Amino acid sequence: MIEVKNLFKRFGALEVLKGVSLSVEAGEVVSIIGPSGSGKSTLLRSINLLEKPTYGEIWVDERLITPPDPYLHPEVIRASHTYNRIRGRFPDDGSAIREIREKDLLHERFEGAAYREKIKAITESSFLDTNEVREKIGMVFQHFNLFPHMTVLDNMIYAPTHVKKLPKEQAVEKARALLQNVGMLDKIDAYPGTLSGGQKQRVAIARTLCMDPEAVLFDEPTSALDPEMVKEVLDVIKRLATTGITMILVTHEMGFAREVSDRICFLDQGIVIEDAPPDVFFSTPKSERARTFLEKVL
Amino acid sequence: MQLNFSVVWGYLPMFGDALLVTLKVTVCSLFFALLLSIPLSLCKISNVRPLQWFANFYTSIFRGVPILVQVFMMYFGIPIATGIKMNAFTAGTVVFSMNSAAYISESMRGGIRAIDRGQYEAAMALGVRYPGMMKDIILPQAIKSVLPSLVNEFIGLLKNTTLIASIGLVDILRVGQLIQAATYRAFEPFFVISVFYYILVMALSRLGKALERWVNKSDRG
Repeated sequence: MIEVKNLFKRFGALEVLKGVSLSVEAGEVVSIIGPSGSGKSTLLRSINLLEKPTYGEIWVDERLITPPDPYLHPEVIRASHTYNRIRGRFPDDGSAIREIREKDLLHERFEGAAYREKIKAITESSFLDTNEVREKIGMVFQHFNLFPHMTVLDNMIYAPTHVKKLPKEQAVEKARALLQNVGMLDKIDAYPGTLSGGQKQRVAIARTLCMDPEAVLFDEPTSALDPEMVKEVLDVIKRLATTGITMILVTHEMGFAREVSDRICFLDQGIVIEDAPPDVFFSTPKSERARTFLEKVL
Repeated sequence: MQLNFSVVWGYLPMFGDALLVTLKVTVCSLFFALLLSIPLSLCKISNVRPLQWFANFYTSIFRGVPILVQVFMMYFGIPIATGIKMNAFTAGTVVFSMNSAAYISESMRGGIRAIDRGQYEAAMALGVRYPGMMKDIILPQAIKSVLPSLVNEFIGLLKNTTLIASIGLVDILRVGQLIQAATYRAFEPFFVISVFYYILVMALSRLGKALERWVNKSDRG
């Protein structure tokens, strides 16, 4: 359902994602784990385009959501910088010639018939508009981001009635059912400011579900919570995982990730190091880096 | 010196009409100022450079030129330059609206900037488009946070409306000048006028406080 291919993201000089590929089937639950600064959140936020990838492709339901632009490929940029530098100075050793040749090779790879074919194929298969992506893929944030000036109910029904044009009675009915599910029906008329962190996050999850998304992204949903509230939120997510909805979670709760996930994706320094079922990953991690990480957190 | 307030009583009906003029100019200007300040502040925070330039230029003009000069310009200058004639009420209201809009848009810009990034992200993640996001999610919170400075701006506006006396509209101040001319008494009429304005401003700030309490109800639930 979601396919990330060779994704790069650069913030100024900082390269956060360095060619990440990840494929998530419909109904799958995938946890992304890894040390802080490994690019987990950036990867997650790229999937509904809250971050604009520097290079790479993201496909949702077989439709491309990122614009194709090979000239933004980091290798091309690097090579062309080298090329300009060399031309300015005039080289006197063999390495410069090699670099120029490398650049020409890159050109060949991205231009010409193959490149034109690729662009054509993409145009034909048609893009998925950013807003459509966001209607398909919901997101739950670390800091809940409920709208403080709206009651719980208004938070829930705003997007369904304004974006999906659902009649208000239907939206309210749906909101009530979802709030019932997360055990927050008694707070339907409360303002977010009066709720505890755990309650806010449960409402935020219900708000996301109110849009009937095909997939939900969770960006460290329990990291901002007091310890005693973590469980109530994890329980809600756990129950959601059994409903067959596609989920991608960024989490630091290892036990939880092991329990609910179909796959664990271990990210370090912007690269996917391991992608394996939880039992395999947690009992016999292949890489040294994953082993070190697990020793620290388990 | 002998004070004699009885000279003012005879003019009380005139004060009634004048009060209505002052209130009309204030309320109209206030309404249009708010209306105008929203697109202005949106221009200021937009990524489109020309829109920013326009809004900043607009603000600099209305902050840079004394408001009395603006009133004279609108009432005496513009008709000669363009042939568009305006009565004193319209000219005054236009100037006060545009002037206040410049100031309000500045504080509104600050209010919008202060809204947490997460609010935008949550709205975007729910598929909410830019106009809806601004209208229903960002601006209501921004206006709430700038309400105290808005009340300040409105008080300033109310007091600035005395300047329309200078282009001949009979507001409260003008009545005082008329009384002075007719009776050669200055203290009594201007004292009464001071009281009028003081009460108006106090009422306005009370109203502002009540409004603040009302919009802040979501903080306590």
